[in-house]
Amino acid sequence: MTNNQLSPSTISQSKIGRRKWAKPAVYAGLVVIMALIPVFLSSPYILHILILTYIYMIAAVSLRTITISGQFPLAHAAFMGIGAYLAGMASKWLNWQPWFTIPMAAFVTAGIGVLVGYPFARLRALYYAMGSLFFGIGVIYIIYAGGVWTGCYAGLTAIPPLLPLVTSKVPYYYFFLGLALGSIIALYRFEFSRIGTNLKAIAQSHLVASSVGINEGWYRILAVGVGCFFVGLAGAGYAHYNQVLSPVSFNFMATLWLVMYVLIGGIGHFAGPIIGTFILIVIPEFFRDLKMYSPFISAAILGIVVYLIPEGLVGLSKMVRSRFTERRKDTWAVNAS
Amino acid sequence: MEQMVATITNVLILSSMYILVALGFAFLFNMLGILNLAHGAIYMVGGYIGLALIGELGFNPWTALLLTTLIVASFGVFLEKFCFRPFVGDFNRIIMMCVVITMVLQTAVNIIAGTQILSLPPFMAGVLRTEHFSVSYERIVTFAIGGILLAIILWFVNRTRWGQQMQAISQDMEAAALQGINVHLISALACFIGCGLAAIAGCLIGAYLCIGPFMGDFMLLKVLMLVFLAGIGSISGIIIAGLILGGLDSILPLLISGAASDAVTVAIVVVILLFRPQGFFGHEA
Repeated sequence: MTNNQLSPSTISQSKIGRRKWAKPAVYAGLVVIMALIPVFLSSPYILHILILTYIYMIAAVSLRTITISGQFPLAHAAFMGIGAYLAGMASKWLNWQPWFTIPMAAFVTAGIGVLVGYPFARLRALYYAMGSLFFGIGVIYIIYAGGVWTGCYAGLTAIPPLLPLVTSKVPYYYFFLGLALGSIIALYRFEFSRIGTNLKAIAQSHLVASSVGINEGWYRILAVGVGCFFVGLAGAGYAHYNQVLSPVSFNFMATLWLVMYVLIGGIGHFAGPIIGTFILIVIPEFFRDLKMYSPFISAAILGIVVYLIPEGLVGLSKMVRSRFTERRKDTWAVNAS
Repeated sequence: MEQMVATITNVLILSSMYILVALGFAFLFNMLGILNLAHGAIYMVGGYIGLALIGELGFNPWTALLLTTLIVASFGVFLEKFCFRPFVGDFNRIIMMCVVITMVLQTAVNIIAGTQILSLPPFMAGVLRTEHFSVSYERIVTFAIGGILLAIILWFVNRTRWGQQMQAISQDMEAAALQGINVHLISALACFIGCGLAAIAGCLIGAYLCIGPFMGDFMLLKVLMLVFLAGIGSISGIIIAGLILGGLDSILPLLISGAASDAVTVAIVVVILLFRPQGFFGHEA
């Protein structure tokens, strides 16, 4: 009898002990695999797709940082556009070095985010989403109205590249891999710090949170500032990598795609946006031969997740596990009876 | 005089088209809480089906308008049954579903019709000339259809049994179901009407201006602005907000050139929403 009571706890303890090193090992292995990709696959096209994946990964994870405060901003691609256009215009018209414009754009985007976040902190839920959506549209119209400075509808062209002497994509790949890793680790530390916990408390109930002394407005503005800093970083990197900017890449549909990256991965887990970005950018590329029909592939992935995996792709492993354990329990029950 | 008449007709036409599309959006949003981001795509498909019926199958424009409305409205019932009803109350999945619908419709139109800008043949040719000004019949017809439909919808919502049931559902769905209202039937009806209105607006705009695969995105933004300016749950507010927005959209380009006028419109909307988040006629804060 005692044996039976003790055994589950010992199993779980040994499992915890095994998992302590298993998870970091898996993450380190994934990073090593991603770092080794240029050694085995030197096709510039594959590297290009992966670089874009890293850029959008930073944007999606930083969007998640804002969403943990319980608000859903729909202007995130517009903030990416602010960062990209700031970096692009500063290096094209003022001849500043890319190594300076990228951090500069990130800090200025964060500043704009805080300035905009201050009046928006009075809005909540759907009203916040809609207010930020209209702000994002306004940013795009300002870019359109910018004349020669922003390149209007044709877009900003001939931005100085990040690495002027390099023709291969491999250095760019490592730069953006490092940028994505650094940003993701920083945002992970942010989410699981005391500030992140406070943000999650605000998301659960802003009334209870403010009654225990959490300054709701201040923390929400802080979350927007941090999210905008990293999305500005991603945008500035994109500007110097792509060398051509078009307002279309930052409009409402682009924001919706960032939201899709977060939602398809699963909103309840930090790995959600990372997995979501990877799946939604890389898998449709396998079907590149379909040309005009290829958006159907993305639509099919989204549709499958919507209908079959309500918690997002992160919930998939939990679903599979629970199905197997349930079945095991059933067979055990049958055997016992 | 000429300029003034042109501006006034522009305001009226744009406003009535915005209001037609926004009413369909608002029905679903008020009743089921569905933020139907696919409404712009449905409006766009309406224009293309109208063009296909007139151009490829050779229907008379008026028959084509009626047929398009019926086709798109039935598609709306299909959407309500299979894409919206399973996820009511789950905001994230509804948004994902709407992106899926938008992508499928836009890609299909892209493949079938191409990305070029097309235009429907006019419903009524000719120009009305008077001593002081001249207006094309097309504009008069567009505005007349919009106005008549608006009057019918207002009468339907406020005076008929089904309209009253729709209002009851938007106040409290469970209480309405307890009173014996068939919630599913009424929401399917709302989707039928909403998609039908969007299709009519698509055809009329297609004949008045032009149609393209991405015209729905623009209309969707206008509709969102309109519904949130009016305030959630307010039908008559939509008409006033529609007149304001249509006025801004047709008068501002005369004063400020290019995209700056759109930026000013958006700035006005954002400032109004910051000071009055519930809109002009909304009740919740």
